[in-house]
Amino acid sequence: MIEPTTMISTKAELADRLAAGPSSTPAWLAELRREALDQFRAIGWPNLRQEEWRWTNVAPLTKVAYRIPAPPDLGLPLEEWREQIAPYSLRLRGWRELVFVNGTLIPQLSEWAGPDLRISALSAAVDSQSALIRRHLARGVALAQDGFTALNTAGFQDGAFIHVPAGLQPDRPLHLLFFTPDHPGPVLVQPRNLVVVDAGAKVVLAHSYAGASRQPALTNAVLEMVLGAAAQVELIQLQREAAAAFHVSNTAVQLERQAAFQSLTVNLGGALVRHNLQVRLKQPGGQATLLGLSVQTGRQHVDNHTLLDHASEQCRSSELYKSLLGGRAEGVFKGKILVRSGAQKTDAKQTSRTILLSEDAVMNAQPQLEIYADDVKCTHGSTIGPLDEEQLFYLRCRGISVAAAQRLLTYAFAGDVLNRLRHEGMRQYLETLVRGALKGLSLVEPPVERKPTREEKSTENS
Amino acid sequence: MPLLEIKDLHAAVGIKEILKGINLSLRAGEVHAIMGPNGSGKSTLAQVLAGRETYTVTRGEVRFNGKELLTLAPEERAAEGLFMAFQYPVEIPGVSTSYFLKAAVNAVRQYRGEPELDAIDFLKLVREKLGLLEMDPNFLSRPVNEGFSGGEKKRNEILQMAVLNPRLGILDETDSGLDIDALKIVAHGVNSLRSPERCILVVTHYQRLLNYIVPDFVHVLREGRIVKSGDKSLALELEARGYGWLDGPAERTEVLSYGF
Repeated sequence: MIEPTTMISTKAELADRLAAGPSSTPAWLAELRREALDQFRAIGWPNLRQEEWRWTNVAPLTKVAYRIPAPPDLGLPLEEWREQIAPYSLRLRGWRELVFVNGTLIPQLSEWAGPDLRISALSAAVDSQSALIRRHLARGVALAQDGFTALNTAGFQDGAFIHVPAGLQPDRPLHLLFFTPDHPGPVLVQPRNLVVVDAGAKVVLAHSYAGASRQPALTNAVLEMVLGAAAQVELIQLQREAAAAFHVSNTAVQLERQAAFQSLTVNLGGALVRHNLQVRLKQPGGQATLLGLSVQTGRQHVDNHTLLDHASEQCRSSELYKSLLGGRAEGVFKGKILVRSGAQKTDAKQTSRTILLSEDAVMNAQPQLEIYADDVKCTHGSTIGPLDEEQLFYLRCRGISVAAAQRLLTYAFAGDVLNRLRHEGMRQYLETLVRGALKGLSLVEPPVERKPTREEKSTENS
Repeated sequence: MPLLEIKDLHAAVGIKEILKGINLSLRAGEVHAIMGPNGSGKSTLAQVLAGRETYTVTRGEVRFNGKELLTLAPEERAAEGLFMAFQYPVEIPGVSTSYFLKAAVNAVRQYRGEPELDAIDFLKLVREKLGLLEMDPNFLSRPVNEGFSGGEKKRNEILQMAVLNPRLGILDETDSGLDIDALKIVAHGVNSLRSPERCILVVTHYQRLLNYIVPDFVHVLREGRIVKSGDKSLALELEARGYGWLDGPAERTEVLSYGF
């Protein structure tokens, strides 16, 4: 693989490092990586002049000289590793778990036994499951989309390959944990996951990203997923990176006939975060529910870009993204709903809501509708503002202190998203985490006097 | 000593003065009604007493239970035993009615140095009060006021009053938007809360509510002042004659007194 501990500073040097990488992969994969590398050389990092990146400046992360970290030193006692990942592990909650450290699967820290699912490291499956992987890898995420997807394809270290055979409903949910320990310098970790859920199967999957790095580590993750007919998936993404970390993720999901997909993206960490989530409803009767919750403080910047691609008729989608912003945090939500011609009877609903808990917090929210069919129902709404003065006054008039009233209202705001998650155990787990994050927000200051900006629009074509 | 004593109270929104010298005393056990046409300042009086920050008190003082009310935050007033039933109760999605009630009860108890109620004692208390207002217990699991009918919202206000057991209950146009059946239920709830330790201030535009909550005293508010006080028969007179005949001399005197 790529030589560890090699300094990479510029885009060109990064590309050269990756080009000098391994030749041991199957020829088709080597070819794919080369193609991706050419893409990365050609398009490079995104910049503010690009419409999809106008609110998120990635310049800080492009100026860092990253090392590709070596696989973790397992000379350390396993107990020490266990201790490091314990705060992020779901093992004790009964989940199967694959633990990746510096992008490398550590079987000694993982547990995925069971006869039902087919689970392995992607690097291992490239040989054993070559046909299946070849059919799906890099088919959901376009290489040309931006430099990050190209970079990941060119240089991903490893990730999980999960295949849920038709009709299977595994008894336990599965957790992929990507952990970046503290390094003496900046590191680049590129996880790549591929999930194939066959017809009628039903699975709950979480992928979380956590780190202890005090240096500006960059996680550049890609997850591709395909759902066969009538398959059902709940996908939870939990971003708890270290305070100085950069995190970029691209998730692409494709749904066949009658498939149902629910996602929840939770952001509690990171300095500069960008998620692209695209869901393609390829065949009639598909259903997608996209949920998001970000709790940010300090100077955290979190950008959620979603694309709901209604490519077939009679599909439904609903989307709810919420943010609680304190300090000088910045949030971005851009939700695009694309209704292609022929996607009649589309029913799409999108909502984004943000509470600004300080005068210096900023939110940019933008819905985007592109509709090429004439018998569809699409609605979107967006609100940005401080905590509701009327609600605060009402609670105070019943004896509840300002601080307690603020906690109650912020928690209710967040709980509204978490309550929609179907998986009970995960919901309880996230409630605890979010409660902790909300305690970290400074709420004692009286709420800012600012008029909420309100926009409620709807577009209906019948 | 009166439980609530208002002296020469003036309050404004921005530079617009709305209350122009209110004087009023309520003793424990009494029920007073404040009536008046739209814009007379009756709701403002209720809001100022509850502590709404939209209004600035420009002159006067209010003593409640021996304390200087106007220096207290809204939550302190509540804990001291002041309760205002809102004209427009606020919806709070994501917070169940029982969670809200329990938070309120325990906040007030904590302020008073009393131990918090546990879940069992709290439920016992609330269930008893629910019966009083003919409310279904599953009401407790619904988010506060969200999707409630007008009648349910007002019953919820009185339920809170019953649970919090205040010394002073202020009903801000509690009758608005209620049909006659809901009005009777709400009035029955309020009447059951009448006690020698408590006083109640009913703010209303119409006499109708006073058929069910019979006041000891009626005051007529006009242009920010009490222009007439009497017993319950005054309400009937207002019902028959309207507010027009009460064009008190106050405003004209005021104009003349500028004396250019």
